[in-house]
Amino acid sequence: MNKEKVIEIQNLTKRYPNGRGIEDINLDIYKGDIFGFLGPNGAGKTTAMKIMTGLVRPDQGDVKIFGASITEDYEKAMASVGCIIEIAESYPYLTAYENLRQAARYSPQVDRKRIEEVLELTGIHKFINEKPQKFSLGMKQRLGLAGAILNHPKIVILDEPLNGLDVEGMIDIRNLIKSMAENEGTTFFISSHLIHDVELTCDRIGVIYNGRMLNVESTENILKDYATLENYFVSEVERNGRVPNYAD
Amino acid sequence: MAVFRITLINELEKLYRKKKVFVAVILSLAVVVIGQLGVLGVRTGFGIRGTGNAEFSILVLSVVVNSILPLFIALVTIDSFSGEFSHNTMKITLTRPVSRFKIFLAKITAITLFILTILFLLLILSLITGFIFNVNSASAKDIFKIILAYGVSVLPQFILALGIVLFANLFKSGVSVFFISVLAYLGFQVLGLFFTQYANLLITTQLSWYTLWLSETFPVLKILRLFLLMVGYGIMLFTAGFYFFDKKEF
Repeated sequence: MNKEKVIEIQNLTKRYPNGRGIEDINLDIYKGDIFGFLGPNGAGKTTAMKIMTGLVRPDQGDVKIFGASITEDYEKAMASVGCIIEIAESYPYLTAYENLRQAARYSPQVDRKRIEEVLELTGIHKFINEKPQKFSLGMKQRLGLAGAILNHPKIVILDEPLNGLDVEGMIDIRNLIKSMAENEGTTFFISSHLIHDVELTCDRIGVIYNGRMLNVESTENILKDYATLENYFVSEVERNGRVPNYAD
Repeated sequence: MAVFRITLINELEKLYRKKKVFVAVILSLAVVVIGQLGVLGVRTGFGIRGTGNAEFSILVLSVVVNSILPLFIALVTIDSFSGEFSHNTMKITLTRPVSRFKIFLAKITAITLFILTILFLLLILSLITGFIFNVNSASAKDIFKIILAYGVSVLPQFILALGIVLFANLFKSGVSVFFISVLAYLGFQVLGLFFTQYANLLITTQLSWYTLWLSETFPVLKILRLFLLMVGYGIMLFTAGFYFFDKKEF
């Protein structure tokens, strides 16, 4: 593969006092990838993504974004990154426009036109002058996504980006992600529990279980051997010790 | 520097868009009006002069620096730190391309600008009402002293804010931080009463250090000693506050 490596995760380890966390994660993400990060609840997806965005410090290891260490050169590492971690947050006392303007100030090329454009792309332009305290969860999520893509980031890290979205919203966001990856070469690192949506959106899949990376494979190769991504996921988890009982 | 400037602008925008800050400004200015009404009442009711226009500004300052200003500083500081921790909005700032040190510095600068704004508005309003309602005219020297008193009052209020910043980074709940700050403030006031020989070491006593700047025999050494003490406290509180802010995980 000759693609440019944009994210390097090296020996990433973080242990919480309750025994949860991640252990020795190694992963490379390449330019234009739409990487799906799959794992059951508590597997360590959010922990890994929080370390990738500097919200949590690793016990060991490092994350490099375009060669810049997230622990040592944070500003450079995050210069081309947009993200949503856990829930898309916004300031309830600022309007949607003002919320985005806060992010826009970090990029001189982002003007009012671009803010309006991302609000249009995420389908909430008509609420531009409203405060998010009146927004539904889906609308807040759309505003968070608008903020994440506002500055034309080269990498977008999204933790459960489809939370609270209706079917139409999911399709819109999926199309937006695919179009940005195809037309702008944006790299996406996405975690989601909606396995079918990951199958439709992502072109590479990494499975994390009990804090360890089990496997990384292209969606194309996975679907050659398995009928669905869900079958692959169950098989990977089973091979590594446990069959999740989704019926419970 | 550009990144710090942007972060500061964002912090200031967040600060002035909150109703709390607006209410703080209005209430601070109300002190001047209430104070002036009180002086007029005393003058007309009892025939006592009350204050002249120069003394009125200092009277306002003496009330404000020991009561409502520390209270508003606590509210604004807690909102800027604990409020953002508990509402998870701190994540928004932290995931932008700006280091934690610059975020911390921008927040503290915004709080300092809030203190400066309140003191500046109080100074202007108290001077204007003093000139309008109080017959005794103030000399240029008096006005210079008033401006000096308001100016030097920024430092102890800033140190107080740094103390509250430290609490806000140590304790999770904003309510806890508020009550601990109030208890610490009252505790220091009581200590100052019982141990008068050590009172100058306490920040609550230092809040009134502007009085030293007003005395006719300018106590240079005492002012210098207090200044160095406050700078020392400031450095320690800033360092400790940043240490805990930097270690925080979200």
